[in-house]
Formats: sequence, C-alpha cells, structure tokens
Amino acid sequence: MELAFEAVHKRRGDFTLRASGIFGPGVHLISGKVGAGKSTLAALAAGIMAPDTGTVKKNGVSSFTLSLQFPEWHITGNTIGEEILSWGLNAEDVLMRVGMKGRDHDDPLAISRGELKRLHLACICMRKWDLLILDEPFSGLDCRQKQELCRWIGEFRSGILLICTHESHFLPPVDFLWEMRDGVLFALGRVPEALAAWKQAPPLLKSLLCQGILPRNITEDDVREAAWKIRG
Amino acid sequence: MIHLHGIQHRILEIGDLSIPPGHTVVTGWNGGGKTTLLRLLAGLELPKAGSIMFEDRKPGDTECGWVNEFPGRNMLFSLVRDELSSPLRFAHIPCDEVARKVGECAEWAGVSHLLPRRTHTLSGGEQVLTSLATALIGRPQILVLDEFDSYLDHGTADAIDEKILDSGARYIIQCTQNPDLAARADRVLLLSHGRVHAFGPPRDVFSGLERCCYYPPSWRLGRGTGL
Repeated sequence: MELAFEAVHKRRGDFTLRASGIFGPGVHLISGKVGAGKSTLAALAAGIMAPDTGTVKKNGVSSFTLSLQFPEWHITGNTIGEEILSWGLNAEDVLMRVGMKGRDHDDPLAISRGELKRLHLACICMRKWDLLILDEPFSGLDCRQKQELCRWIGEFRSGILLICTHESHFLPPVDFLWEMRDGVLFALGRVPEALAAWKQAPPLLKSLLCQGILPRNITEDDVREAAWKIRG
Repeated sequence: MIHLHGIQHRILEIGDLSIPPGHTVVTGWNGGGKTTLLRLLAGLELPKAGSIMFEDRKPGDTECGWVNEFPGRNMLFSLVRDELSSPLRFAHIPCDEVARKVGECAEWAGVSHLLPRRTHTLSGGEQVLTSLATALIGRPQILVLDEFDSYLDHGTADAIDEKILDSGARYIIQCTQNPDLAARADRVLLLSHGRVHAFGPPRDVFSGLERCCYYPPSWRLGRGTGL
C-alpha cells in the first residue's frame, strides 16, 4: 500500500508546488510555514486537485479520505445528528464519544469551531481508512482534545496517515517526517534520525536538538523526557 | 477599563469583571463560551442581560477590529486588495490614501504578495493574516482576535504577535489555545462552562494548573533546563 508523488508540479498564481516521494504505511508528519503548500499537497494527495504535470498514484489503497482544515466545509447535514448519519455512523455513539450527548438537534454551523472540529474528527476516526489525510487537525482544539487526538493517532496501526500541521506543543508519535519549504516537498526520513534536519521544528524541540539531545519521538512526553536529561 | 456587569448570554454568566487596557488572553476548554464573550466585546451581539462598557461607550459605538475564528466567513470581497481596502473605502477615505495605507498594512502583515489573489484561493494562514490586516487597517482602539493564531506556524505567530502588541490598539483581547502565548500576555481570563474560572496575571492564573495541560509548556520544561 502506498501513495506516490511522481515529479508533481502544481501552479496556483505565483505559487508553485513541487513534490516527489512515496508515502508508505505509517504516520507521516508534514510541517511547513504559512503558504508553504501543505494544504495544496493534501488536496493533491486526496485527488480533489489535479497536478499540472506529474502523477499522484494510490497503489493498493481501497479507502481514503481527506479531513479539510476548515471543518465547516464538510457539513452536509442540517443538524448534528444528520451530519453524523452522513458519515454512516450512529449519532448516539459519536455524541457520547465527543461529550456532546443530547445535542443531535443542534445546528452544526452554530456550535464553536473547537466543538465542530472535535465532532468531525470523531466521525473520521470512527471509520477505517487505508489512507487518511488530516489537514491541520489540531487547529481549534483545546489542549485536552489535542492530547486525545494524539492518543488516537498513537494507536493508528494499519494504513497510511498523513498529518499536515504547524502544531508545536501537542504532537503525536510519528514514523516519518516531511517538510514543505517554499512549495517544495522534502523527505527528512524516519523519526528520530530525521529530527536533526527539521528546519521548522517546534522551539522546545529545536532547543534540545541544539544541545545535542535527540528525543525518541516528538510527543509531549518524549520532549519532556529529553529535557529532563539536561536537568540530570 | 472595560466593565462587564451581570452578563447572562447563552452559556455565559459573568457577574462583575473589569479588564484594564493592554493584552488580555481568553482561554479555556472548547465550548466554554470564549467566542460568545469575544462577540459581545466586539459588539457583534448584545447580551440578553447585563451591560458592557468600554470606558464610557458601548461596544457598538467603539471602533473595533475583529478577526473571526472562521476567517473566511468575514470576507466580503473576492480580491484580497478589495478586502483589505474595504474598511477605509466604507469610511470614505480618499482613493490615493487608501492605496497607500493598503500597501503599508499589507507589508506589515506580510501579505503584499497576496494582494492580487482571490480570497477563496487563500490557505487558512493566508486568510487569517488578511483578516488581521483588514481588522487593523482602520487603527481601531479595540482589537478582538478569536484564535487567529491556530492557523499560523509558530514562527509566523510569534512575529505577528509582536507586531500586534505594537499596533497601537489600546485593548487587545485575544482568544488562544497556545498556553505559551497566554503566558506572555498582561493578563489571562480562563473561562470554564461560561463562567470566569480565573482572571489575572499569567503567573497567578496558571499557578494552580501545573498538572493541567493548560500550564505553559515553556514554563514546565524551562525550569532547570535553560530551554
């Protein structure tokens, strides 16, 4: 099972994205500055945008989805209950999971962005995907919900998971690290070895790397454990 | 000073609260009433009960810059240049002055390259920077920002944060889920289930929260490590 970008070029106004690389099974983190091309890459990966040249191939992938950065773009139901049903899920189960029991008649466009994001991610996470692309999944979540999402990602065992994010505190354990730099996709490699090449590393992680300390992974616990080595 | 008295509105229940000028961060769990409070302060909604006064004026009578947590929802125009110009055009500012100020403000926000772009093609980060520039171009006394930093990478967020503090706005009311950003504010308002859980300088508000994920990571890890 793999997602392959073969000499992909995509131009949008003055911006050009260039990407080559193979995403195999595992958790892939793609970081990058504002406007570096993370969302464009996610759209190309999902096939909702076509490259100008090059190809994006999904080999051995029978089910896939993209979670957009803006959760409101996913809404098709007039109520929260209808929205959950549109994912083929039981409304009561999902609402229980996200702590919103009894709110199935609420308007999904009238709840807070954090609640909507939580609801949308729960619908995604309660189904099984060969390829799952999450564009800024942490945006709008409070720290407790970010930790919960990290736990779910940590349990992701089969398939390919792409996470495009600029989150810098609450990060899940990942297998591979990629970086978008001015529209170009760079494969940094397997974690933790890849961390040394991570230009957009979160500040605390960067401080550790500057002192020659390599955390086991990029989670809050890994960074804390590595920081304690300094303290001795 | 901003005075809130006897506020009851949707989930919010706030007895008396006085917010001094400066940088105030509003934080708390999802669904705790943060956006509702910010909408009241921005004058976008009137409270069902109670009153809000900015010094001697009501929120609706005060020049206020607002950045929505859904930045795309506030955009009125299809071109970034028109969106950014709109507060000045609505105020009947002469065209040459509008053009000059749009150029300056776009450079300030780092969106000069986006001016010819269509707003619907912007990424989340680009949308929120455009919204911020639009909110500030009229030099408002009050700036209300609803989690705009959640769309930005840490480098851009830190750089823009410094610029916002230097923008001349007398009151900056900012909702964020970034505890390290909250730790740098003049004061923090922690909302829980629509009520004020704590309000004061960051050291006081976070002092009892060391076991909670809201405690600033830089404080937790920085102690004794020099990070």
